Amino acid sequence: MGVTAPTAGVVSVPSLASRAVGATLELVVFIVIAAAFGVIDYYLDAVTGGLGVSAFWISFWAMAIWSAWCWPAAQRFASSFSGNHIAMLDGRPASTVTIAAREFTRAGLLYGLPLLAIETNVVPVLVLMALAGVFISRTAGRRAPWDLLAGTIVVEDFGGPATMIERSEVSSVADLQLDELRNRRNAVARRVVLSLGFTSVVVSVLIVWNIFSEAAEFFSAEDFSWSSLQGIGWFPRRGIFDVWTLFIGTLWITGIAIALAGPVGLGVAFYLSEYASPRVRQIIKPIIETLASIPSVVLGLFALSFITPQVLQPLDDSIGFASLLAAGLGVGILTVPIIASISEDAMRAVPTELREASYGLGGRRVTTSLRVVFPAALSGISAAFIVGISRAIGETMVVFIAAGGSGGAVLEYDVRQEGQTFTAAMASLGAGTDSVAGVGIAFQSLYALGALLFVITLMLNVLSDTIVRRFRQVY
Amino acid sequence: MHDRQTISLDSLRARRGDDAAGRLFLALITGAVLLAFLMVGAVGVDVVAESWDLLSNRLWGFLTSPSSADAGRAGVSQGIRGSILIAGIVILTFPIGIGAAIYLEEYANDTWVARLIQVTVRNLAGVPSIVYGLLGLAVFVNGLQGITGGRSVIAAGLAIAVLVLPIVIITSAEAIRAVPAPLREGAYGLGATQWEVIQSQVLPAAMPGILTGTVLGIARALGEAAPLLVIGAVGFYTTGNQDFVEQLRGAFSALPMNIATFAREPAETWRGHAAAASVVLLVLVFLINLVAIVVRARISKRLGR
Repeated sequence: MGVTAPTAGVVSVPSLASRAVGATLELVVFIVIAAAFGVIDYYLDAVTGGLGVSAFWISFWAMAIWSAWCWPAAQRFASSFSGNHIAMLDGRPASTVTIAAREFTRAGLLYGLPLLAIETNVVPVLVLMALAGVFISRTAGRRAPWDLLAGTIVVEDFGGPATMIERSEVSSVADLQLDELRNRRNAVARRVVLSLGFTSVVVSVLIVWNIFSEAAEFFSAEDFSWSSLQGIGWFPRRGIFDVWTLFIGTLWITGIAIALAGPVGLGVAFYLSEYASPRVRQIIKPIIETLASIPSVVLGLFALSFITPQVLQPLDDSIGFASLLAAGLGVGILTVPIIASISEDAMRAVPTELREASYGLGGRRVTTSLRVVFPAALSGISAAFIVGISRAIGETMVVFIAAGGSGGAVLEYDVRQEGQTFTAAMASLGAGTDSVAGVGIAFQSLYALGALLFVITLMLNVLSDTIVRRFRQVY
Repeated sequence: MHDRQTISLDSLRARRGDDAAGRLFLALITGAVLLAFLMVGAVGVDVVAESWDLLSNRLWGFLTSPSSADAGRAGVSQGIRGSILIAGIVILTFPIGIGAAIYLEEYANDTWVARLIQVTVRNLAGVPSIVYGLLGLAVFVNGLQGITGGRSVIAAGLAIAVLVLPIVIITSAEAIRAVPAPLREGAYGLGATQWEVIQSQVLPAAMPGILTGTVLGIARALGEAAPLLVIGAVGFYTTGNQDFVEQLRGAFSALPMNIATFAREPAETWRGHAAAASVVLLVLVFLINLVAIVVRARISKRLGR
């Protein structure tokens, strides 16, 4: 028959035996280099302690850097030396960067990991290596893990034509089937990607299980009593866990943050969606997004060093170094871009026809914005506010830095005073963990708070998700 | 004959000039935009102004010296090292996030498995960062003590990697979703397997978007301090000469931890240190953004778009 089908492109993969010889030679070189460093080190007054693990580390790095050399001539030299070269799976010659990445991975897996195992003397690394070993034996002779990572294959006879697509006669159905290597790769990829997707499920389960089991330990501990949940304030080290104090603090912080971020974020969203020309929008949007990328520690510092002395103290000199008000405003700045961007998305999702109908009836821009776009986007905007609230409740560092109350907090309704939120209380507990570790159940209260926080934010997120999904169905 | 209201051009113009509500509204929302600008500007100016003395006098010393109780000698070298190590560990876990995104966009049908993954990813994105600190403390510090060495930069890096994971998944999934279908169909038509389509067509086309997501992730990882507090990063510590493994498994610091520690010192002198460390952190984030922009431009050029 004249019909031919392409089969696997590359032939003549080096045999296992020749690879084993090469690997042994390499190991010898590795040990010789390490020994050389050890000897040199010995005569140089033992900086790293003679022939220790550190000498092997030096040798490892030297080899890794040498074999991962990106200089084409060096790679050609190395491959002519070993009598084979590295190609891509389909037979094209691999680029120098790919070869370097493959060689570096190889050096790391073959020499770095065992060193780490010896150095740290741990079972898990050995288990990891055993798994890698199983992997190698499964793909023996064809592709090692580093080849799989870099998408390469080792080919014998450097210098010959890299690709040779052989065409064979089609005589049965089997000849028309997909090449086995490609088929297997496809199946493996599917499984790998699915298991990667499951990491999020694993993480969720770990969070829920850890936090709630530790929280249960807190509530069932011997020195815990329900009456300790009420008191003059939150003083975990003295066994006073007045949750109401933290609740009031959280309420204030969130309230102030939304009072600032709500109007500003909504105004920005209206401007960007209804008033700004595309060019103006292109300039304004990145600046607002810059606000979102400022780390929260920096905003905490800003609350301390700017908001308190420059804004608040001139208005009311009874405000001290740290206050709930300053922290709330700091959190508010952090919330502005969240509310602005989600509300803007919601407003832009409103169909243009609605606006045109409004203009056609003689509606002004302000009327269109407030009476047509706003109601139509209301569900999205409320979702934006819920996400903003959830973020404000979960914000830690601004409050930890700018609201004071590190050792605990007295129940305080006045925003000009120091206070703590759920998150800030957790941060203080966490920051002082070493000194708390022996102090009864104080440390466990960290998990109780974490569980509470997790439930609150989860509920808010589910709520906003539900609203958004309903709002999507409208259009 | 019925009544007819005559509308002249003049009266229309008068009404337009009379649009007080419209002008008020425009003034309000312009004010909101300006206020947001003011916030960005004030943060930048304040941080630079507070740190100006320190940075102009001993920038190099501040960058290269370790922490110290003496404000005149304290620096952030340990913080910079810790932050870079954490970012490195986070980058190592990006393939997991991208793989999960590939599953969600390319493989997932409407099965309960896919829905479960989707729901958990969305919820994880909304979990407060400090909760990831608790997770890190339980799993990476106590559970995997053999590998991480307890309260170490490895444990912190892993906890933050988990925190960044949903961000990477969501942004990568969006980038993959945006790849036009004809690109896939063309490759299928040429006989490629599903994985080959993903590898040769979908991933290269989605790479610029994926890169944006990963850069967002790194920026977040660099600035996040709450989980580090719980895991036990140290604001102040003195060390001898550690070798690389000891650095990975021993006490560690990070730039946001330095900032938080400096900022909470009551003495005024430390305020400048906190601001200077903030400047270093912001510059670091900016540099990473810059690298991403350059790489993205190169990829786009190679793809001929």
